[in-house]
Amino acid sequence: MDFNRICLPLWVKFTVEELRRIMDYKHNIRNMSVIAHVDHGKSTLTDSLVAAAGIIAQEVAGDVRMTDTRQDEAERGITIKSTGISLYYEMSDESLKNYRGERQGNEYLINLIDSPGHVDFSSEVTAALRITDGALVVVDCVEGVCVQTETVLRQALGERIRPVLTVNKMDRCFLELQVDGEEAYQTFSRVIENANVIMATYEDPLLGDVQVYPEKGTVAFSAGLHGWAFTLTNFAKMYASKFGVDESKMMERLWGENFFDPSTRKWTTKNTGAPNCKRGFVQFCYEPIKQIINTCMNDQKDKLWPMLQKLGVTMKSDEKDLMGKALMKRVMQTWLPASTALLEMMIFHLPSPSTAQKYRVENLYEGPLDDIYATAIRNCDPEGPLMLYVSKMIPASDKGRFFAFGRVFSGKVSTGLKVRIMGPNYVPGEKKDLYVKSVQRTVIWMGKRQETVEDVPCGNTVAMVGLDQFITKNATLTNEKESDAHPIRAMKFSVSPVVRVAVQCKVASDLPKLVEGLKRLAKSDPMVVCSIEESGEHIIAGAGELHLEICLKDLQDDFMGGAEIVKSDPVVSFRETVLEKSCRTVMSKSPNKHNRLYMEARPLEEGLAEAIDDGRVGPRDDPKARSKILSEEFGWDKDLAKKIWCFGPETTGPNMVVDMCKGVQYLNEIKDSVVAGFQWASKEGALAEENMRGICFEVCDVVLHADAIHRGGGQVIPTARRVIYASQLTAKPRLLEPVYLVEIQAPEQALGGIYSVLNQKRGHVFEEMQRPGTPLYNIKAYLPVVESFGFSGTLRAATSGQAFPQCVFDHWDVMSADPLEAGSTAAQLVADIRKRKGLKEQMTPLSEFEDKL
Amino acid sequence: MELESNYEIALAADFIRSRNFTRVALQFPDELLKDATRVVKALRDRLESPSESGSVGSGDGKEVGLFVMADTTYGSCCVDEVGASHINADCVVHYGHTCLSPTSNLPAFFVFGKAPISISNCAENLSTYALTQGKHIMVLFGLEYSHAIEMIKEPLMLESSKLSGSTSNLEFHFAEVMCSVMNPSKDCTTSNVYLGSVGSFTANDFGKATGTRYSIGGLVWNLPEGHRMEDYLLVWIGADNSAFANVVLTFNGCDIVRYDAVDNRLVTDLSQQRRILKRRYYLVEKAKDSNIVGLLVGTLGVAGYLHMIRQMKELITAAGKKAYTLVMGRPNPAKLANFPECDVFIYVSCAQTALLDSKEFLAPVITPFEAMLAFNRGSQWTGAYVMEFRDLISSSPVEVRNQSEEARFSFLQGGYVEDFDLKETEDAKEDEDGALALAYATEKALQVRDKHPNSLIKGTAKSGAEFFAARSYHGLEMHSNDSSPEPYLIGRAGKASGYEGEKGKENF
Repeated sequence: MDFNRICLPLWVKFTVEELRRIMDYKHNIRNMSVIAHVDHGKSTLTDSLVAAAGIIAQEVAGDVRMTDTRQDEAERGITIKSTGISLYYEMSDESLKNYRGERQGNEYLINLIDSPGHVDFSSEVTAALRITDGALVVVDCVEGVCVQTETVLRQALGERIRPVLTVNKMDRCFLELQVDGEEAYQTFSRVIENANVIMATYEDPLLGDVQVYPEKGTVAFSAGLHGWAFTLTNFAKMYASKFGVDESKMMERLWGENFFDPSTRKWTTKNTGAPNCKRGFVQFCYEPIKQIINTCMNDQKDKLWPMLQKLGVTMKSDEKDLMGKALMKRVMQTWLPASTALLEMMIFHLPSPSTAQKYRVENLYEGPLDDIYATAIRNCDPEGPLMLYVSKMIPASDKGRFFAFGRVFSGKVSTGLKVRIMGPNYVPGEKKDLYVKSVQRTVIWMGKRQETVEDVPCGNTVAMVGLDQFITKNATLTNEKESDAHPIRAMKFSVSPVVRVAVQCKVASDLPKLVEGLKRLAKSDPMVVCSIEESGEHIIAGAGELHLEICLKDLQDDFMGGAEIVKSDPVVSFRETVLEKSCRTVMSKSPNKHNRLYMEARPLEEGLAEAIDDGRVGPRDDPKARSKILSEEFGWDKDLAKKIWCFGPETTGPNMVVDMCKGVQYLNEIKDSVVAGFQWASKEGALAEENMRGICFEVCDVVLHADAIHRGGGQVIPTARRVIYASQLTAKPRLLEPVYLVEIQAPEQALGGIYSVLNQKRGHVFEEMQRPGTPLYNIKAYLPVVESFGFSGTLRAATSGQAFPQCVFDHWDVMSADPLEAGSTAAQLVADIRKRKGLKEQMTPLSEFEDKL
Repeated sequence: MELESNYEIALAADFIRSRNFTRVALQFPDELLKDATRVVKALRDRLESPSESGSVGSGDGKEVGLFVMADTTYGSCCVDEVGASHINADCVVHYGHTCLSPTSNLPAFFVFGKAPISISNCAENLSTYALTQGKHIMVLFGLEYSHAIEMIKEPLMLESSKLSGSTSNLEFHFAEVMCSVMNPSKDCTTSNVYLGSVGSFTANDFGKATGTRYSIGGLVWNLPEGHRMEDYLLVWIGADNSAFANVVLTFNGCDIVRYDAVDNRLVTDLSQQRRILKRRYYLVEKAKDSNIVGLLVGTLGVAGYLHMIRQMKELITAAGKKAYTLVMGRPNPAKLANFPECDVFIYVSCAQTALLDSKEFLAPVITPFEAMLAFNRGSQWTGAYVMEFRDLISSSPVEVRNQSEEARFSFLQGGYVEDFDLKETEDAKEDEDGALALAYATEKALQVRDKHPNSLIKGTAKSGAEFFAARSYHGLEMHSNDSSPEPYLIGRAGKASGYEGEKGKENF
């Protein structure tokens, strides 16, 4: 796959050496990602930037998406993997005269990463954000700020990424909606306002104000498809001399409550009501554009040429023959080229690595912030120790190998350098997850070619060959001898893998290939989890149906060399819980009948399971702090809160054992054994061997044999497991199913279809809102994950392609049917799960677990 | 008399007499124990009566001591040599189901018993089924049906010869029973006393080394050159027992059907059996994640078990894991749960008892072969499966690739994990006597321990000692500064099934 594509103007003349030279100017580098909701036009916009750099002909910009390099991406029309492009831009002295920051000459290197907008691939966004310092947030001017815009924006701000905004698809306003100036202004202003609402919640003294303002030049207006864009700076420059004011003053007038009456030539802050009095933005930006577009579209060339001449736009003679839309595109591209507006906005308002690392070091570095590594990152010091974060592994054309792709935060990485690889589980001072290996090659991409360079200095992105065996998903690299360096903080992903399929190979002897393929798949995508079931089936878990589909395709074609695989229907994992307190205290006897455990199960208080998930309550807490939370928020008795024996499964799960006994001898001796039995039982519940969730087991009484030898682990562990199962079965056991939060945007006429599909799939709508100023409705609904397979397809069919859903896992929902009642839907479900797992289809009856005196 | 023929009294007596054994141990499994006295009586009668064949008669004056052994410590399919040596027996007569694992010290005579089978029905079922399949057929059977095989063979042979000219080249092959007498020192195939020659009836002469020789669970057969087991359709005559499970696992590449002699029908749906293999595969993956391994000694008789245990220990240590050897007779969940520190157990035993479905066990129990797959870094699950550990010893079935340093992928955790033990031992070796040794030792000693060790987290401890250190209960605490005697307390009284004054006693 072509990852880091370098597109340069006259790029043939541009040698590796020259590129390498610019990489040293740390003040002149901008690392930035393009983030947006799906289908808001990121890739199209990115392409117009690439087009400006000269790699594809100006004419096809907007029609060919250069950043979507995979065939499936092109077919689906969405981005799946994030793609990097390096751009070169030379600023004129004129445009830089207002630039206040540090710079070295006029040449700029912009490393741009286009990331997917579909929620299933948000791990790609996370990886992209880590290695960039700024973000271009693309928002559709009609659809506005959507759920994924919000998610990634929050993620970006969490990483201290400074955003700039572009209001995209301007062409829709002029061609499709035909709204007048004031209405358009209101729409844009609302979009910007919505984005600012999110950004305002992140107050960060170091990062400063992250909100965006058109009058400050941090908002652009673009039409990616037509390849034009502007910021108010463009227009301010044009009018400043005309009005005899300086540019910044002019910019302020072009946005907000500033009105101009051409008859009086006076600016006012209120609409005077005079027929010619219009808002500055409308008067000087919107209307001229509208006029040009209309003139072009109507082929009024006699009017057009004088207008263009006034604007200082000269067209080539062959372009003058174009007609209609093509003419309009060409004229707009020449007048307001997207690249100039956007690149200048990035260069002006996004930080250089040197600036950004000053405040990002706190987020990035795990160690003390005053050691030499933190200092080197803070100063972006090319002479300092190497600190490099590998954010993803990119499959190389050489099957089975990977490039380690990441960003150099300090020092330099060079071919042949011996590096210390600190994996995600590395703990300073220990040897776990630590390797020392040498980098075989350091590589940058130029066009479609990979170019080996001697070294890459800090502030840049780099790909390395020869480390893939030692890096699992991501890692921190430093120099061989820097043994006291701490790693760079691991990335947190915002989605969790809830959808699973079982895979097996068509030919049994291909199993080694499958195993190898799964390993590689797990390496190439941080979001996918490859595991194995008790029954020996290989499971691939992903964030959503689309994600899984892509994973399976990659697995079969790229990682298994085309060996055929058979996949099961998507499988959803369930949880087991209880509704009420056990109807009686249940007892189980140990195998030697000399020990008896009495227990009851009850559901955990509402919200407690979530608190445990979030880590607010957990086994590592200070008992006092934990008891405070439990007593204040969940109404527990203070003393009881101190008697929690353990959490489970995996010692951190959302179930617990609480000691309710009074004055029982030897109780502390069997605690470990009960805990072991509980870990086991909570992992494989009594219903269908799914994990338990939200159950509290209370140890009511214990009778133990007086001799220690007869109450050992062998007697107590199996007994504890049995009594836990018995108490679960007597407390109205229920299954929990995962539920998605679905967000759908669609026009009014599609609503009927959406509702009927949702009904049919057991979904329910809890919010329906019309987007002000648009005919679009925003619908939020809950949808069981089980029902989500094929959901987007059905929805598209039912709404003739007008609705596109985004699903994110939201919560676990109790299934009301009683799994113990024969013939109920839940009982059927349990039987199915048990069959799939290769268990006896009949649940083990209570009598097997409960003993009588 | 039925007993006479079922228990092969005459053959057993001949065996004893011909070799002049004086102390004979008769080993019965639990289900045949009820016949033991009658068998002893019949055998004694036969031994005392003058020999029909007019044999040497040298030891006539000597009384032959017959001893009944039951309740075998390990699987009753193996010859209990330890039990037999308690009475200084010089041979063992083994009754009932057997795995025919080679013995290490004593000669043994095996009586398989004769289970009833409807010969005509069986032959008919087989031939009808065979006609629908286009493959050669290999017939394997439970040893208890070996007496009837000759009779099943005949009609099938006829059928096949009738067909061979016309439609297909359908062939029936039959496995044969390896032997019924086993001598410990020699290879038992040389001293075969064939229980009726049940050879194959193809043109290919049996016994000539023209092909590959297969043996499993006391059955042997040869395949002609160029034929693979996958080309054959396996038919198993007998019950769905461990012997059958063995066949399914070993020949997992073949199509297998089973003729159930009790229900008189052919069972073609064996998906449940297929699941076993996948389940074993899972267990191997699980074993890879273990740190502490329990080595269960499940036999004291099968030849080579000591060698096997040694080999396993070496394997485990080489993988950087800790091994503990446990001798406990037949394992059950309660026994094994007494060792919660073990993440996995390896059961060294005869092939037919080795497969334990460890669903009820706290930690999985795997076979030595599976252990080899799991602990040899770089070895792959190819589908080949070896049950009998004499095969394991002779040939290392697992081709070990040169150890790559790539982190190991754990399918249980769904990610790459670090076997840090492995590296630590390597590193330790490097500067064992280097200047850094002391520094390493202190570094280890000074590592911050978890302050709240409140649970048994499986798979984190690297040795038993470390596991116990993490337990919340450390035994009785000594209060050295408080020397005053504790007050006198009255404990519980009564029976364990319900102590006096206990809650719920009233229902009693």
